[in-house]
Parts: sequence; structure tokens; C-alpha cells
Amino acid sequence: MLGKLLLSCGLLVATCGFSLAQTEIGKAAPNFTLPDTNGKEWSLANFKGKYVVLEWYNPDCPFVGKHYRSGNMQGLQKEFTSKGVVWLSIDSSAPGEEGNYPPGKLNEISSRDGAARTALLLDPEGKVGRLYGAKTTPDMYIINPTGILVYKGAIDNKRSTDLADVRTATNYVKSALQAVMTGKTVTAADTRPYGCSVKYSSN
Amino acid sequence: MKAFSGEFLWWAVRGIWIALGISCFCQRPAYAQQYNGKELVRVSLISNADSIKSGQKFSVGVLYKIEPGWHIYWKYSGDSGLPTKIEWRLPPGFKVHDLQWPLPLRDKEPGDLEVFDYTGETLLFATVEAPDPLPAGPITIEAKTDWLVCQSLCIPGRAQLTLNLGSGTSSASGASQVFDKYAAQVPKPLAKGVQAQFSRAGKNLEIAVSGVSNGDAIDFYPVPPSDAVVGHVVRNGLKLTLPIESETKALDQIDGILVVGSGENRQGYELNAAAVPANVHNLVASVGLGTILQALGFALIGGVILNIMPCVLPVISLKVFGFVSEAGERPEKVFRLSMAFSTGILICFAALAMVVILVRATGMQVGWGFQFQDDRFILGISCLVFAFALNLFGVYELSVSARATRGLAKLARGQGYGSAFFQGVFATILATPCTAPFLGTASAFAFAQPPWITFLVFMFVGLGMALPYLVLAFNPKWLRFLPRPGDWMIRFRQFLGFLLMGTLLWLIWILGQMKGVDAIVELGGALLLISFLAWIKGSFWTPVSSPRSRVMAAAAMCVAVLLAAGVYRFVTRPSQLVWEEFTKDSLEKALASGRPVFVDFTADWCLTCKTNERFAIDTPQVRQAFSRRKAILLRADWTKGDPAITEILKSHGRAGVPMYLVYPGGGKEEEAVLLPELISSQTVLEALNKS
Repeated sequence: MLGKLLLSCGLLVATCGFSLAQTEIGKAAPNFTLPDTNGKEWSLANFKGKYVVLEWYNPDCPFVGKHYRSGNMQGLQKEFTSKGVVWLSIDSSAPGEEGNYPPGKLNEISSRDGAARTALLLDPEGKVGRLYGAKTTPDMYIINPTGILVYKGAIDNKRSTDLADVRTATNYVKSALQAVMTGKTVTAADTRPYGCSVKYSSN
Repeated sequence: MKAFSGEFLWWAVRGIWIALGISCFCQRPAYAQQYNGKELVRVSLISNADSIKSGQKFSVGVLYKIEPGWHIYWKYSGDSGLPTKIEWRLPPGFKVHDLQWPLPLRDKEPGDLEVFDYTGETLLFATVEAPDPLPAGPITIEAKTDWLVCQSLCIPGRAQLTLNLGSGTSSASGASQVFDKYAAQVPKPLAKGVQAQFSRAGKNLEIAVSGVSNGDAIDFYPVPPSDAVVGHVVRNGLKLTLPIESETKALDQIDGILVVGSGENRQGYELNAAAVPANVHNLVASVGLGTILQALGFALIGGVILNIMPCVLPVISLKVFGFVSEAGERPEKVFRLSMAFSTGILICFAALAMVVILVRATGMQVGWGFQFQDDRFILGISCLVFAFALNLFGVYELSVSARATRGLAKLARGQGYGSAFFQGVFATILATPCTAPFLGTASAFAFAQPPWITFLVFMFVGLGMALPYLVLAFNPKWLRFLPRPGDWMIRFRQFLGFLLMGTLLWLIWILGQMKGVDAIVELGGALLLISFLAWIKGSFWTPVSSPRSRVMAAAAMCVAVLLAAGVYRFVTRPSQLVWEEFTKDSLEKALASGRPVFVDFTADWCLTCKTNERFAIDTPQVRQAFSRRKAILLRADWTKGDPAITEILKSHGRAGVPMYLVYPGGGKEEEAVLLPELISSQTVLEALNKS
């Protein structure tokens, strides 16, 4: 029986070796500073007191395309930025990879799509993407006014590239924002994101 | 950019279709995506039969030929991508079975992303049962397939395929060999002799595999339920660890494929989560023999160590001398006597194991969870471990009731095998004050095990404890190797207390992973209470303390428990009022509505705030007044010292919380009513009535 104890002490030592997931629901979202497509620096720490949405973005990914061509993403951006939410899209595509463009080109794409986000941030080294453990485009995060992560995961529950699915899907981001902004708890706070892989640099 | 134009072209084509109002689900010719003039995935619908007869079982499948460097996805795509999909359309009466997926590859993408995919060529197929008799007319099988093909960029594709089969006679097709090739790659049911056991350790799901040769590489490709997010499998010999990143209900097992071997020789085995629990009761199937042997080995060592506890060690030499003198010069008799004595010990442990198994069975019937993913179980075990650690440190002592001791001593008196047996029982019970911490902790952990393992482990502890008697009885001369009793035993016992504390730390970590910081604080509270009770017991309720002291001690314990229960209820009682978060905007909006506004400036660490909230604000009268006036309640949480809130506190001449602002008539008043720091329900009601 002491055996069990010794075993569990061993386990204890073993578990200390693990470092845990980067971002967790209910914990403080890690701070970051990134430039946007107009050269302005944005820092998460400056948005205490506001809800912040992070959207991992790659204009050439068909999953991102589904939500922009259907007008779904812009609709969400409009709806919630008008309610004071800060909406930051982050492009973590490495140079030479799909979705990495010069800032001017990205601005062009944004105006073509009628994007209504607060800013589009550039993360070509993938530092912030890796910090948050962003896996796919889109991959969505919601941070509450006290800086706590309240949602992470997919944009909705229809894992496809089919435009028609947008209308029938349950939009997790929308329901999570509506819930937290009216003081309710988020029912699905941690979902499995779907989409293209974030095109990180290989080093 | 190339990627962009290819992508754009595809979307343009899709866009035109949608513009033309053509539903995605209507009939149209096979379409596959082009990229730089190449068709990335060429698909064909094939069958292993050209012609079928009534009632025949045959296979149909979609063969995907994938451009080098590109991949399509398995049924669980991994961190990114999209599973390939097939929808069948068959003539009436035909029955199609589940889609068969050949074993995929586990691939890495930059950024530590992991996907499960197919490269080169693969066949996804299903068995079809033809009706008897066959319907009249041609037999046309249709498959609509959707896939996502990725290199570093991804392009979706889809195709609608048809295949005509002859009817009346059965004849194999030229594609039979293709089916044979891919059928061999489909994971098989778990092979005889290969076993996998799931267990949960905090956020990790652990899979212990046995029955494969040690040199074999093993791997696990999970198929998680859609409401769960899993990480990447970590392989460590025959043990696999799968981190569970999110789940809606605690997963103690998961579907997936156990992969044995590497490269060309990989073989997949279906691990069906639903089928695993059935194995737990099967004596051989669930836990690997190695794991059991290891546990038994540790149990034996643990049992031996019990012998150097302060209440046991001095007994050993006396007992052994007793046997030797009783048996005279006949070594067989010494051996038999010590066997009888050891049997007594073992019977005690068997009884203890039965008690544990019985309690566990009863508990499970009334719905207690005895698994490590049950937080109440962890909580209970933690309290027990802590209580026993305090015992080892000597904060309090356990004692066996004097009456029981006397009764047992009577049985054990005398000579012969019968009394030697009872002396064994007696020694075990007499040793409980020292061994209880370990046996108690062991029992608690044993709750998480199937009964037969519990029993075996306890028997081995017993065997360990009996071992010195057996060995010494065999050759009493070895007594001189026995360590001398002394102060060091006390120190050793205290040292073991630290091991228990380490175990406790591990349990707290598990609990924290499951329930977060609140649960840890609750546990901390429980441990505080336990340490207080232990201190009272050790100081004022000992075998030598007076009856008066004992009564006082009991009273103090009761008061402490009641007080703790009260504090717990008070702290964890959820507020019955609905609060909105305070911001400048929310205040302005609330005032603009013209309804009364109540602002509570509070912080989690502020005891006065909590007391006010509980006894002055969240009371029936105030709740009623709030709802009658449709008051808007705002809560400004200063737990982390939000500077915006600090400023407002300062502007009202306050340095901290609590602070209460009441706007009785909504935005009509310029000034808010500022309530004192200590308030009663009356204060709140009066302020509200000012309008």
C-alpha cells in the first residue's frame, strides 16, 4: 500500500514535468502586442473593461472564405463592434505561405469583403498564434472585460466549407458573446475549432 | 499569388452556381478541383462485383487518387482539415453498412499541428446487402463525396459518382483486388491477447497496452466525440497519454484506433470505448499482467515496511523467541507455528479487503463515484490522506478500544497452533494505530480498483507483514539482523507523513485541474477543519485525559464542524439577485432607462462586502423592493483592482470597497446616495424610498 503511495509520489514528480495548455477557459488570456495592417501597435492589455474577440484569419483558406463570402463574419463584426466589442483578426501565416500578404493587399481584401473588424493584426512569426495555441483558420477566442478567456474554439457547429451551412449552423461565437454580455454563462465555452491549419513558419 | 488565384477561381465557380440558384445537392456531373492545371484528387466509384444476384453482399467504394504532396483526411481529421464524406444513394431495398476507413497516417504540420490523412491513393468503402428478390430495372449506385485536399494550402472538392451493376448472376469485377488491398488496411477488432485499459489522471486519459511485444511501436489515433477537444498522444513504451483539452462530460475512455508496429507493418485495432467497460470485470482482460505484478510487488514491500512501525517492531523478536521456545528443538514446529501466526495476519487483511469491497459495492449502488474523475472522490481521499498524515506526524494517536484488546488477548492466550493463529490476528489489530494511516489510505485508493485487484493487493500487504516472521522462524539466528527499536522509528514514521503530504499535493493538483481554484479553496477549508479536529483529539481526548476534558473536546469538535458548515453554506450560497457588470457605459445606459440603479462595489477578498451582500442586500425584503421598482443592479468587481473602479471610489472619497451607490430615481438625480460601509436591509430600503 505504501507501494501505491510511492507510485503516486512518482506520478507527482512526473506531472510536475508537464507544462499545461497555453490558454484555458476561466484563466487570464495572455497579453500580446502586434502591429496592424496600418502600422499601428495593438496590445490586449489596453482593452481591460471591454470584450475582445480574436479571430485567426487567412483570406485564402476556404473555411475563412465560407464565412466571408456568406457575409457571416462581417455580420458578426458589425453587430458586436457596434456594441463596443473589440474585434481583432490575426493573420499568423508565415512569409511564403498561404494567406501571407503585404499589409496593403490585406487592406484591399478587407475592403473588398466589407470587413467590419476593429483591426487586422500581423503575426507572420506565429508568436501570438502559438501563444494562444491557435490551430485553424478560423479559430475564435473571446476575452471578457477583466481579461479572462471565456470562449475558445470553432465559429459554429457545421464543420464544412459549404456556404449553405452558415444559415443552419449554431454560431458559437454569437451565442457566447450574447451570453456573457447579459451575465449568463456560456453553454459551449470550449469547442473543437475547424478549418485549414494556421500556416505557421516551420521553425 | 498562385494560391490566391486557384482559390479564387474555385470560389468564383461556386459563386456562379449559387447565383444561378442551383442547390448544392442537386444532380450535376462529377466535379473535381483543378489547381495549376492539375486535378488534385481523381475519384472513381467502384465495386467488387460487376453483376449481383438476389440477397448478395458486395462492396462499393470511392477510390481517391491524390496528387503527390497533397493529402485528404480521415474520419477524425486532427487539429485542422475536414473529414472526407460519402453519401450513398441506392435503389430501394438495398442496405448499406458503415463506411470502412483504411488506417490513415499521422502527419505533422508546422506549429505543432497534427492531422490524420491519406496520401497517394485510398479507398473508402462499404458493404452493401442486395434485397431478395432484386428490384426490376437497372441497378444504379450513386455516391456523393466531399473532401478537403491540402498541401500547405487547402482546397475543397466534391463529386457525384454513379455506377451501374448487372443483375441476375454474380460475377466479380476487376476491382476486387483493390478492395482486398484496402480491406487489409482497415483496423481489425482487438486481437486476442492484446489489451488496452483506459484510466483517467487529471486532464489526461491514459491507455495502458499489454499483449504486444515490448519492441513494438504503439500509437493511438483518437476518434473523439464531437463535443470534446483532445491534444496529441504522447507515447511512452506501452503507455499512451492523451491530453483532454475540453469535454462536456468527463471522458474516462474514448473511441479510436490502437496502432501497433511502424511503417509498412502498422496494424490498426479498433478500440471501442463502449466495449471496454465490459472487460473490466473480466479477470484477465483489462489490466496488463505487468501492471498488476508491479502493484503487488509494491504492496509486498509496503507490508514489510509496516513491520518497522513503532508499535510493531518491538513485537517481532518477542514473538519469534516465543515460537522457538515453544517448539523446543523441533524446527518443523517453529515453522508450523509461524505459519499459523501468518495465517492470522492474512485473515485480517482478507477481512479488511472484504470490507473495502463491500463498502465500494454499496457505495456504487447508491451512486457514489469511485473514480479519479469524480471530484467528490478526490475530495474525500484528500481529507483522508491529510488526516492520516497528521497521525504520522504525531498530532493525534489512534487507539484500539481496551475492551476489544482484552477479549482478543484471551483468545490468543495459551499455546498451540490455534493460539498462534489468534496471536497473528491480535498482532495485526494491535498494530492498527501505526498501520491505519497506510491501510486507510490504501483502502481509499483501492476504491478506484476492481474488487479482485483490491483483494490481491491487500493479501500481498498481509504477506509482506508476515514475511519477517516466516523468514525468522525459518532461521531464528537471523534475528540479529533485525534493526533495534528506538527513536529512529518515530522519525521514520514522521518521514512517511511527508510522503502522504506529497500524495495530497498530487490529489490537489488533480482536483484543481477538474474544478479550478474554488474547489482547491474548499478542500483547503476542509483540511483546516480536519487539522483542528485532529489537534483537539490529540491534546484533549487521549486515553489518559479526564472525562471532563473529553466532553469539552467533543463539544469543541461539534462547534467547529457546525461553524465550518455554516461558513461553507454562506460562502457558496449563490446570489439570488441578477447582477450586471458595471462599466461606465452600463451605468449610463442604466440611468438612461429611468429605473432605480443600485451599484455594488465589491471584491472577492472583501469579507465586509460579502457579509453585506448576504445579510443586507440579498434578503427577501430587499429582493422584493428591487423587483417591485424594477431596479437595475450593477456590480463593480474590484477583486483585481481595476483602475477605472479605483477612480470612481476615489471620486466618492473612498479608498476601497465596499461602497454602495443608489440612484433611487434613475438618471433624474445628479447625485447618487452613498451608503455607509456597514449596511443593513433597512439602510438599503430607506435609500430606495428617497425617490
